[in-house]
Parts: sequence; C-alpha cells; structure tokens
Amino acid sequence: MDQPASSSAAPATPPPLGEHLRSPELRAAMLVQQEALQGARDYLRGQGFTELLPPLVGPVTDPGGRGAKALDVDYYGHPYKLMTSAILYKQASLRGFPRLFYIAPNVRVEPEETATTGRHLVEFHQIDVEIADAGREEAQEIAAGLLTHVTEHVWTTVPEILTGLGRTEADFADVRAGKYDVRTHDEAVARLLSLGHAQNPDGEIDWTGERILSLESDRPFFVDDYPKGSRGFYDREDPDRPGVLRNFDLIAPHGYGELVSGSEREADYATLVTRMRESGENPAKYAWYLKEAREGIPSSAGFGMGLQRLVRFLTGFDALWQVSAYPKLPGVVTP
Amino acid sequence: MTTTLPAAAEAPDDSAPSVRPVPPAAAVPPAASAPLTDPVPTEAPAPSGLRAPGFPEEQVRARARTGSAAVFPDPAAYGAHLFGPAAAHGGDALDRTRIVPPVFMPERLEKLIDLAREPEFGDVDLTAGVGGFTARLPLYLSAFGSTRAGSGDLAVHASRQAARLGIPMVIGENMVPVHGYRKAGDASRSALRARVEAYLEAAPDGVGGVVVQQSTEDADSEVWNLLYSDPAFRPLLESGRLAFELKTGQGAKPGLGGMTVVGRAEGEQLARRFTVREVFGEDAPRLLRCATPGTFTEEILRQQLRFMRNNFPKARTWVKFHPGRDIGQAARTAWAAGADAVTVDGAEGGTGWAPGVFLDHVGLPLAECLRRIGRPDGCLLATGGVWEGGRAVRALALGATAVGLGRAALVAVDEDPEHGLERLVEALALELRLLISALGKYAPAALTPDDLWDPAQGAVPC
Repeated sequence: MDQPASSSAAPATPPPLGEHLRSPELRAAMLVQQEALQGARDYLRGQGFTELLPPLVGPVTDPGGRGAKALDVDYYGHPYKLMTSAILYKQASLRGFPRLFYIAPNVRVEPEETATTGRHLVEFHQIDVEIADAGREEAQEIAAGLLTHVTEHVWTTVPEILTGLGRTEADFADVRAGKYDVRTHDEAVARLLSLGHAQNPDGEIDWTGERILSLESDRPFFVDDYPKGSRGFYDREDPDRPGVLRNFDLIAPHGYGELVSGSEREADYATLVTRMRESGENPAKYAWYLKEAREGIPSSAGFGMGLQRLVRFLTGFDALWQVSAYPKLPGVVTP
Repeated sequence: MTTTLPAAAEAPDDSAPSVRPVPPAAAVPPAASAPLTDPVPTEAPAPSGLRAPGFPEEQVRARARTGSAAVFPDPAAYGAHLFGPAAAHGGDALDRTRIVPPVFMPERLEKLIDLAREPEFGDVDLTAGVGGFTARLPLYLSAFGSTRAGSGDLAVHASRQAARLGIPMVIGENMVPVHGYRKAGDASRSALRARVEAYLEAAPDGVGGVVVQQSTEDADSEVWNLLYSDPAFRPLLESGRLAFELKTGQGAKPGLGGMTVVGRAEGEQLARRFTVREVFGEDAPRLLRCATPGTFTEEILRQQLRFMRNNFPKARTWVKFHPGRDIGQAARTAWAAGADAVTVDGAEGGTGWAPGVFLDHVGLPLAECLRRIGRPDGCLLATGGVWEGGRAVRALALGATAVGLGRAALVAVDEDPEHGLERLVEALALELRLLISALGKYAPAALTPDDLWDPAQGAVPC
C-alpha cells in the first residue's frame, strides 16, 4: 500500500493538459509541493544557506550521463545549452556564497526508454545545495536533515491531504526519526548480482536495479562510492582509492528510488582538466569555468534533490508526471 | 569523375625523401636525380643555373617558392585524390611474408570427417563476429574521413554495397562538425543519414552493423549523443547493430588530428571551432582546417571507454588507434576496459589529407603493429592497404578478426557505383577461400602466425 503501484496503476502518459490541470489529484500534489518547498527553504535558511536563482542557459552545462542530453539554444550566434544542472555555477559561486542553494529548473532530454520508469521528466526541478569546505558526510547530513525536515513539515501542515492520498504516518516513521542506512556501490552491486540482476559493476545502478533495492528497503539509504566513469568530472576521486568517487545517492524506500545525487567536488584545476578528458569532454568548451578553477574554487560538497521525486515520495503517486503541473515525458511531445 | 589512387605505377622511386605524386606538373629540368614529386607546380628553372646533383634540389626550390604549401599535397587534388604512402617496391613487411601451407593438415581431416567427403575451398566459412556484430565476411568498410572524396555519392554507394555484402560499415569522424547535423535541418543531416539510410535499406536481417566515429573535436557537437536518440538510428539500436568508435588517431598521420582543405569562406566560418591555417599562401583560395588529435593516457582511454559503455549501453564500443609504438599496450588497455573491437590503422592506411612527410615517414607499418599486439585479447580489426586476399589473409593470420577496406572500396565504387565494391569483395572472398583452404583450414579464425613465413626472420616460427 505504501509502494507505488506498478506502472499499470496510473496511465503511462498524462491526459490532455487542461484535463490534467483541473484534476483533484494534481491539486493535492501541488499543495504538498508548496509545503515541501516551504519546508526546504525554512530548513536550509535555518542552516545558514543563502538562496540564489540559477542561470537558465550557458555555453556549457552539466555533461551528465546515462544518455541524457542538453537542449541547444542559439545565443546571438553562439551555441548555448539549457541547464541540465547548474553544478558548475554552484561551484563558481562559493567564494561569494559559501553555503548556497537554488530551486533550479532543469531540462534533460532523457532517453525514450526512461518514459516508463515513473521517475523521469524532461523538465524538472532540483533543490540544489552546495557547501564550501565540506566533505561528503556533511553534505549527507544536510541532505538527510532536509528530507527529514520537509517530511515533518508536510505531515504537520497538510496531514489531511497525505492521508487522503492513502499515506500513513507509519510509512514515514524512519524518515521523520532521521534513520538512514548507508551502503557502498560495491555492496549494492553485490546485492543485485545475488538477486540475479545483471548490474554493471562499473556503472550507475540501473533503473531496474535501483527499483529492486528501493523496494526491499523500509528506510531511506545512501549509496556511496560510485566508480569513476559513472559520473561527471566534478565528482571528486578518492585520493586513497583511485577509481572510486567521493559521491553518493540517497534512495527512498518502498520503490520510490533515487531522490538525491551528490558528492565532494573536484576543485583542482589540473585534475579537472584531466577528468574532463577522461569523460570525453573538450576542456576548451569549459573556458569560463576552468578560468575560475585556475584562480581557485573552494573545495566543497553538495547535492541536488529532485523536487518532483520528493513530492512523489511524499504523496505516493505512481508516476512523476502526476506531480508535475506541466509534465513532459521523455520522447512524448506535449505542450 | 575519376579518383586516382597513388599506386606503384605512378609512385616515385622510393630512394629519396619524397612527397606525394601529383598529376603531371609543369616540366622540370631533369638535373636533379631526386624524383620530381613535389606537389607544387614548378614554374621557373633555377635563375642562376646553380645545380645540386644528388640533392633533392627541386623540393628545396619548391619550398623556397611556396613555403608551407610544399608540405602538403597539391590542394587542387583535394577531394579527388585518395592519399596514402607511396607503395614501396615489393610491398611492405606484411606483403613480403609468404603464405605457407603445410603438408600435413589435421584440420582438413577434421573437416573431411565432418563432411564425409574431401573438403574444398567452397567449404571455408567466412562468417565472422566483428566487434559485436555478425559479418558474412571477415571484412568491414573503413571510415573515409571527412574529405570530399569520402562523403559524397561514392560513400553512399559504398554503404549500400557494404550492406548487401553483410559487412559492417564505419562512418568517419568529423562528419557532423564538417557537414553539420542539426543546423539547416534535413539538408545538413544528409551526409551521415544518407549513408545510414542506404545501409539500412539494403542490409539483410541480423548481419552487419553501423559504426560511428567520434574524435575529441567532435565531442563538442556530441555526435553520439545526437545519434543515440535520433529516430533514424533506432532500427540499428533495436537490432543491436549500432556501435560507436572512439577515434584516437589514424594511419595517415599518426599523432595528428584530422585535416581537410576548405574554401576560404567555409574556413573562416570554421575558424571558431578549429585551427584554420593559410598554409597554401596568403592569397590562396583554400585553407587548411586542422582538428586536434586529443590527449590520451591509459587512464583517459580506460575511463572514456567506460563512459561510452555507461552512457550508450545499447551501442557497441569500438576504439581506433593510430599505429603508435605502444600499440600493444593500448590495445590491451582497450580490451580490458570492455571495448568490443580495437581497430589498428597501419601507417599504410587512410584516405584523408595528410602532410607528405607523415604519409611516407611516420608510424608503424601494419605488420609491426600486429606483431607488437601479439595474440589479441579481443576482437582486433586491421586496416591499411588491403584490397586483395593475400594481404587480408596475412593480417588475419597475425591476429586480426577482420580487415577494413578504405581506399580500395572508394576506388571500386568510383569504377562502378552500382556493383564495384561487391565485385571487388567477390574476388577478395574467393581468394580468401582459396588461401585458407590451401592452409588446411576452413574458417578465418583458424589462421595463425604459423601460416606465414617471414623471409626477414629466415624461419617459420614454431
């Protein structure tokens, strides 16, 4: 009952937009979303963070991975990108704003096969956090604190909406009590292989694998130490363990899957250039960012929490499109 | 139109440092003993009557007249000539080995038992697993690069025929940056898509495949990302017949990136993304566009391959190397990182534009590349001067799973756009069957270095 039902429970694609916008389900989701945003801002500002508004386009964006690509924009004759994430800008902002966050709109042209995961939208938002001079553990504490606080806030302010959607307070006991598990990527891979799922040990946990692990867990858990090659060049490599990144995901229980991706960041100029080459990127594209790095970007850690994924976890809807007012599913052409 | 292939007949004597043979240029005084092969039309005789017999006088004079233009083949031949090193007399080290059938043939006995009759050359099964695809022959169509010769109708004809033959096809790097993809809609996508569509229309089910290269410079326009979600490529992806090839170099100019000759207007347009040089003279109508080769270390290669596999899980992962002196280590690194195929371009390879000094003086010959790789840990593909069965069998015996046809394929389709490549391959395949069966073997994978005798070694390795 707490689990998102199989994809058959909700239609795979949204109804026509007008109909969707008039639906009581969307209204309930939006009321939860605005409380989630309120709770997130309260928490982060209480922790000394400053909210900035993120850029929308730039000469480069987060190169990402998993086959998602950026949309092109013709910017006065220059090829610009819509932000897939503003990670590079977060790092560049740290000298002025050592603790900062965005509620950032992002656009990622995800591969069409992700349309049916229930966890992907082309347009989505992140609660995007960066902390100067912090390590992974501090970023994880903030991420866990944020999820706990938002959950508490929503259950305090709109409990009737959640119960009306079939949610029970018991489902969130561990989250509200701040109980989180931690495992490594290696352990997650070993678990999946033991269950007969052919997880690639060098890559991200795939969608199916992530769902399997999420379904068999009753509390949220971090997955640490993804291998190099599975993530962007800005995730810092562990100096003591070459090939292992000082990064993490936070996975929600009961099948809701990944809510957060984060890491310690690489700030060393020469390492950044080398890591760009390792991910097949042309450093020349990143001139403005590398200039900042050369002049000195503070070391940092940070993360992005998917807003729609957070709201889906809170409301228990099957699919991400049900918690977006203007959903765009991968490969589906909609207004 | 005709495409001229610098062949032995028109190649210079190889005793002197030479650059490309060119279409007959203006007559030159025959004083110098060095062959008169400079690409730059020579006009005036020496003004003073000074002569330097035994010295490459004309080349020096040409450089004195035209400077950096003399480093390159005649730009007027760009797009109409296929470039490669001058064929050495008697072939290269690979061609100098002899194919040596034994007397006793236990594998023939196995085949005899299998067939219950004497095997014959028609019993050789040429089917090969090539970089994750199934190929009907141990062959593939090499990349033609972005030169005009390799990107027009000829390439489309070659694609269609490669598909009918059931062999994979590699589409060269720089197709997208040079010929465009998204700008200007359909017209600009056509260079690449025309080849893919021609291939898809003609390919039998379940065999062949399309391989798209990307080099460091292309990463700017994210070729693979674009193609991976392009509906035109979906049939290839769904049938497991799409591969991406990371191009780290090429045989024609090891250590350098791609080079093309462009008109002045186009060059000025490209100057924002590429190095564009006025090597042909300040007022010349043409400019040289250079891409960078990219920087690789063992770790960069390993991680790039891993990144490709993670980002494009439904596509096969190929990697192409220039004939570098550490080719053995490079190939092993690539296989260990999960590459489905490693392509080695011998210094004999390449159809693209290259400075003469690179064509004739730089890089390991294919035979030495294969020797340094030794027994491959995975699928090894070899290119460089292959057009007939003898050289193909030699490369297969030295470890290659399949061999690429580059210049030979373009010339064949130039001769007959409808069936030229098919006929060339028909002849090559017959020679393969004859040679492999003569060695008492019935599949290309059964060939070993024992099947060759290297006169330089003096003895059959055993």
